[in-house]
Amino acid sequence: MAHQAHAYHMVDPSPWPLTGAVSALLMTSGLAIWMHFHSTTLMSLGLVLLLLTMYQWWRDIIREGTFQGHHTPPVQKGLRYGMILFITSEVFFFLGFFWAFYHSSLAPTPELGGCWPPTGITTLNPFEVPLLNTAVLLASGVTVTWAHHSIMEGQRKQALQSLALTILLGFYFTALQAMEYYEAPFTIADGVYGSTFFVATGFHGLHVIIGSTFLTVCLLRQMLHHFTSEHHFGFEAAAWYWHFVDVVWLFLYISIYWWGS
Amino acid sequence: MIRHKYKFQTLQMARRSICSSARRQVENKVSQKQKMFQEDNGMPIHLKGGSSDALLYRATMVLTVLGVGFTLYELVKASFPQKKD
Repeated sequence: MAHQAHAYHMVDPSPWPLTGAVSALLMTSGLAIWMHFHSTTLMSLGLVLLLLTMYQWWRDIIREGTFQGHHTPPVQKGLRYGMILFITSEVFFFLGFFWAFYHSSLAPTPELGGCWPPTGITTLNPFEVPLLNTAVLLASGVTVTWAHHSIMEGQRKQALQSLALTILLGFYFTALQAMEYYEAPFTIADGVYGSTFFVATGFHGLHVIIGSTFLTVCLLRQMLHHFTSEHHFGFEAAAWYWHFVDVVWLFLYISIYWWGS
Repeated sequence: MIRHKYKFQTLQMARRSICSSARRQVENKVSQKQKMFQEDNGMPIHLKGGSSDALLYRATMVLTVLGVGFTLYELVKASFPQKKD
């Protein structure tokens, strides 16, 4: 039986990159078909394939790390670089939407009434639900840090409790935002104000949902004893992502909700 | 009446035992999983978990192949002028 003489991970051949690429093809073509021919079949098929790919690919990574021991320190270092680079790319993604917001709001056109917020737009009071949302996310940043320390100290029950609380706070934020969206006196179709507001906050909301899902997976893994006090990178990655989501919200709150009102 | 009292006691005991297992503590099965996934059986990681892996893999592949076919069909169809009624 051959053994590797290095600490790196030579992965088994996997079908998931192919199925992932195909799901991207199906989702993009499906989007075009939906726009022109009103059929959502292709896009939905792509979405199902994406979910199947994500589930099986990440399941395999958990198997390789937790059950096969492939995540040695150099491998973990690579995973850390990877997560940091991914979050950085997401920062640039949001930067674009902030650029669009400031482009339109710093020099409002005559069509908008030459002012920001534009004439006819009733903005949301930044000191009502948006402020509560800020408090909720900041609190969740505290609870996720509490969870991290609990894991490092081997406090199993506290880790489960603080992680669960973090996820609940995330759900609370999502519920509050959904209610705000429903009650808002303006829509995405209300000029550039509506576009910048809903696209920026909408993508943020999607990232909150993604982050909450990631944390939920970590909660399940903590229940299943996957994490040790020394080695719990999956959780750290989730916590980094969650802090990123929190910081994006702070920028959104200050720029769009507060300054932009 | 005595039977009723006994039934009540059993119910109470059942509740107590549920409480005493401290909110459904999950058993640590990691070492079993480690043994299963480190077995030298030549199976790739995506199939090493057993028959449910194979089932899910096959279902995913079927959707992948059908999906590519369906996409090509829809794109070719969309490339030709549509008959407007």
